[in-house]
Amino acid sequence: MSEIRIEGVTKHFGDFVAVKDVSLVVAEHEFMVLLGPSGCGKTTLLRAIAGLGMADEGRISIGGRDVTYLPPRERHISMVFQSYAIFPHMNVFDNIAFGLRMRKEDKTEIEERVRLAAELLHIEGMLDRYPSKMSGGQRQRVAVARAIAMQAQVLLMDEPLSNLDALLRLEMRAELKQLLAKIGTTTVYVTHDQVEAMSMGDRIAVMHGGTIQQVDSPTEVYDFPANAFIGGFIGNPPMNFLMGQVRRGPGGTTVRLGEFDVAPAAEMQQVLSKYDGKPVVLGIRAENLETLNEQAPDALMADVLVVEPLGAQNLLTVAFGGHKIKVATHPAFPASAGGRVWLRLPSDSIRWMDPDTKQALRPSDHREAAR
Amino acid sequence: MSVRVSDEMERVRARAKRRLAIRRALSYLVAIVLSLWILLPIWLIASTALTTPEAMRHFPKGVLPFIPFSFDTMRFFLDSHGILPGLVNSVVVALMTLGLSTLIAAPAGYALSRYSFRGRETFRLSILAVRAFPVVILSIPLAFTFISLGIFDSIPSLALMHTALTLPTTVLVIGSVFAGIPYELEEAAQVFGCTPLQAFRTVVMPLALPGIAAAGLFTFVMSWNEVFAATVLTVKNRTLPAQVLVSLREASDAYKFAGGFFMLVPSVIFIVIIRKYLFNMWGQASK
Amino acid sequence: MSVSPLRASGRRSFKWTPYLLIAPALLYLLLFFAWPMTQAIQLAAWEKHGLLSLRDSPGEEGSVGTIEQGTSISVMERRVVPLPVEESDGSDIWFFVEGKDEGGGEVRGWLPESRVRIRETDSSGTPVLGTVRPRLGASAGQGTVLHERPDELGEPVGELSARAEATILRRCSQEVWYRVEGTSGGKTASGWARGRNLQVYADGDSGRVGIGDTGRFTLLHIHRMLKDRFFRSALWTTFLLMLLIIPVQLVLAIVMALVIQSRIRFSLVFLAIFAIPLAASDLAVGIVWSSIFTQNGFLNSLLYSLGLISSPQPYLTAATRHWILVAVWIAEVWRATSLVMVIIVSGLQAISQEVLEAAELFGATLWQRVRYVILPLLKPSIQVALILRTILALQVFAVVIALGGGDVVTVLANETYRQYYALRNMNAAAAYSGLILLLSMVSAVFYLRTVRGGEEAIS
Repeated sequence: MSEIRIEGVTKHFGDFVAVKDVSLVVAEHEFMVLLGPSGCGKTTLLRAIAGLGMADEGRISIGGRDVTYLPPRERHISMVFQSYAIFPHMNVFDNIAFGLRMRKEDKTEIEERVRLAAELLHIEGMLDRYPSKMSGGQRQRVAVARAIAMQAQVLLMDEPLSNLDALLRLEMRAELKQLLAKIGTTTVYVTHDQVEAMSMGDRIAVMHGGTIQQVDSPTEVYDFPANAFIGGFIGNPPMNFLMGQVRRGPGGTTVRLGEFDVAPAAEMQQVLSKYDGKPVVLGIRAENLETLNEQAPDALMADVLVVEPLGAQNLLTVAFGGHKIKVATHPAFPASAGGRVWLRLPSDSIRWMDPDTKQALRPSDHREAAR
Repeated sequence: MSVRVSDEMERVRARAKRRLAIRRALSYLVAIVLSLWILLPIWLIASTALTTPEAMRHFPKGVLPFIPFSFDTMRFFLDSHGILPGLVNSVVVALMTLGLSTLIAAPAGYALSRYSFRGRETFRLSILAVRAFPVVILSIPLAFTFISLGIFDSIPSLALMHTALTLPTTVLVIGSVFAGIPYELEEAAQVFGCTPLQAFRTVVMPLALPGIAAAGLFTFVMSWNEVFAATVLTVKNRTLPAQVLVSLREASDAYKFAGGFFMLVPSVIFIVIIRKYLFNMWGQASK
Repeated sequence: MSVSPLRASGRRSFKWTPYLLIAPALLYLLLFFAWPMTQAIQLAAWEKHGLLSLRDSPGEEGSVGTIEQGTSISVMERRVVPLPVEESDGSDIWFFVEGKDEGGGEVRGWLPESRVRIRETDSSGTPVLGTVRPRLGASAGQGTVLHERPDELGEPVGELSARAEATILRRCSQEVWYRVEGTSGGKTASGWARGRNLQVYADGDSGRVGIGDTGRFTLLHIHRMLKDRFFRSALWTTFLLMLLIIPVQLVLAIVMALVIQSRIRFSLVFLAIFAIPLAASDLAVGIVWSSIFTQNGFLNSLLYSLGLISSPQPYLTAATRHWILVAVWIAEVWRATSLVMVIIVSGLQAISQEVLEAAELFGATLWQRVRYVILPLLKPSIQVALILRTILALQVFAVVIALGGGDVVTVLANETYRQYYALRNMNAAAAYSGLILLLSMVSAVFYLRTVRGGEEAIS
């Protein structure tokens, strides 16, 4: 009933193509996050779903109904804007009631729904206050309340937390997640903050350059990024990328990193063997590297450049063979700038990528990312 | 192979496109009609002022101007009694007003934009209130005062009056010009070794100059156009508008129309020059 | 809007800088606004010489009562009071002179300074020698009487003929004071007053109060203004023009502003064109439109060429008063709409695009957006525009003169000018300008009250 189906949507502004042939299905009640850096097209796509910037090509359906060129108010949607866009000349009650009033709903119905929405956002005590007398965080609540009071099929959110300070953002993230889970509306949420995306979404659609790069659950996107861009965009610190040389030998295929040989996982042997003699990209997250204080046969030696004590972990910047990568260690692990450390690269944590397309290499029988 | 939308959607899209096109066409139409409405009288007065007095007296009037094209009427006007001196007086008064007004308003505008001091809001509100003051109620008593001070009917005294009239607007405009220049620039200059005054001179002034110049130009034109106070406060040393107003009853058509055209020309030129600053000036200068 | 942080005046070291910077402007404004305003009120409602203060005794300054100017009085006593020479204004100075009368005999006595033409003064400027001034007019040929004391009522002790030489031996000055009684304003007052403020009749027992020495509030000038034969017409015409012009301008300005905001190309060009009248002198505009409405002007030319009229119609004559009003109406709409438009355009630009999108998304049609979002948020701008425009409309002047000559159709500002220039009546002129100020303030308050709402919008 409230499934969103985006098929082949393209939108350009003059010569610039903001959204390129994008297709996506958001299931009913699903919380879908559109994640990407600025300029990737996520807001354009959201606005196309909203009807604020009509698609040039393609089709958008909501609940099975073709809405591609319908004006926003006929799409049965609701939206929270990045700058909140609450009406400065109306008090909180009138703001929340606005959409209902435009639909000429019955007065008692409006009253009830407004109060309900205000309670859900904990602003029931400010119904007669005016926006100019409210903090940014309170105004944001009003914007959300206004959106959910509509009880629409679909809720769209355009970076609603980006104008809040860090602490407030943390708080609101949890609150919003709880609230939206409770209401259960199909939600499309746009953000450039990958922490937000990871924490809130049922699924994340990572966008880059106007196209969707990967759509998957947060853990899938984190653990199995579909390409180097996603690996580098998600996670803090970003995934480390190294260039290695593939060598197919009698014992199997290995990848040479400088003077060290990395043995890929068994299921990757077949795929990697096709790259014999060619370079390949090796991706590994900082927290997946094993660190040792002394030499070991399967460990590679690296010089420690910087040690950043982050409290819950230490982040080391290490260099070896012309590469510089970040390694996360337990805070008690002894390391100092100028010293040495030995690293083990567990084969099941390594993500292999094509050096030219930067796409992730999967073993032939690994399940594909939904696209 | 692109995805096709439903037929209903195609219709909706076509309808929306049509409606948008109609709206745009309507906007263009209204804009053009209004523009013609504004430009037509100017065209007409130009056509009658830039022709010979004989052609001007002719009825019905030709609308196509410049047939015959002649500066005779203008020359007749300029040669008329009191016009050239009036012109000189107008320019002198306007220049004096420009200088004095800018000189007094600039520091006040700077103070308003950079400092928060007690009485700031009161000062600002009184500037706004005073801006709307009728020139009529100021001119009569000032005439009285000027007479008793012995400076009546003089160029400088009229310039003083005009300065008073234009001061509020100039303060507000210059204030908003300075407010638009980030204070961090002055701070940065001071960090790199300038005294506050040097910082102001080297960093703020160049950025503020265009805005201040626009405000000054506006002041000049306001003084140039001013009629009531000029008529009341000058007798022998009239400014151009005062001279024309006083002669209006007995004036011939040639005199009148050439005079009107002549007074109008600076306005048009002025607007063309400062059109970028229009919003800033009137928009921010209002409450 | 403003990016610069404000430097707060420090608590410990009081910052003089801002006050120094605004001082010239503040001073100027006080001088040129506060001062003339009080002057204007004084001119309009104050009569400097309306009352005569009566004193307890001659020379005293304390007032024991007042009599209005022009009241009849009865004179009870007369006293001559000496006055230091420096305080006199010349008319109270008497000289004790010595000279030869017609018969050649020496005579000495007192005569008023006004009868002597001073020929020589000593090193300190005191007159020492003079000649008697000849009398003029009806009493020409007569000589001047010398009195035994410096008082016109003093005994004559001799006479000097015209042009006779007189050596000035002494001089003194004095004032004549009268004790009088009169009734004015329902009250009877009696006391002493200076002779120069009174007109004492020949009998010495009665007289009139001449020029008073005390001011009082008077509605005299305002009365005169109200009874002036042009007053009602000026008031009525000014109001009529206001009512006809301002609503039209508001609507037109909103249309212009919406056109500029709608995303069509060349909107900046249109803006520049729409704003041309802003910088035009109202006199020039009046002349421009008179060239259209004058008898062999463009309007008639057009109608004639189209065959709609057979001969030029008069529009700007005494007989066609309503046409003059139409002409003024059009000229003012043409001229002053730009002011309203520019204010509204900046108000429109201040409305965030996202707010309008939100309104659209939450169900508002175009009309609903205008009614529930745009207009309320425009209210402050509309308020300002209306106040400014109304105050300016109350002062409409040059346009009316250019089109109507000021006699057939007159407005308040024109009456102010007429009183000042033609009738030389500063008081009435001040009364008219005071009326304009009063109406301006009333209308400003009116707009502030009625066009309310939207104050909460400013954040």
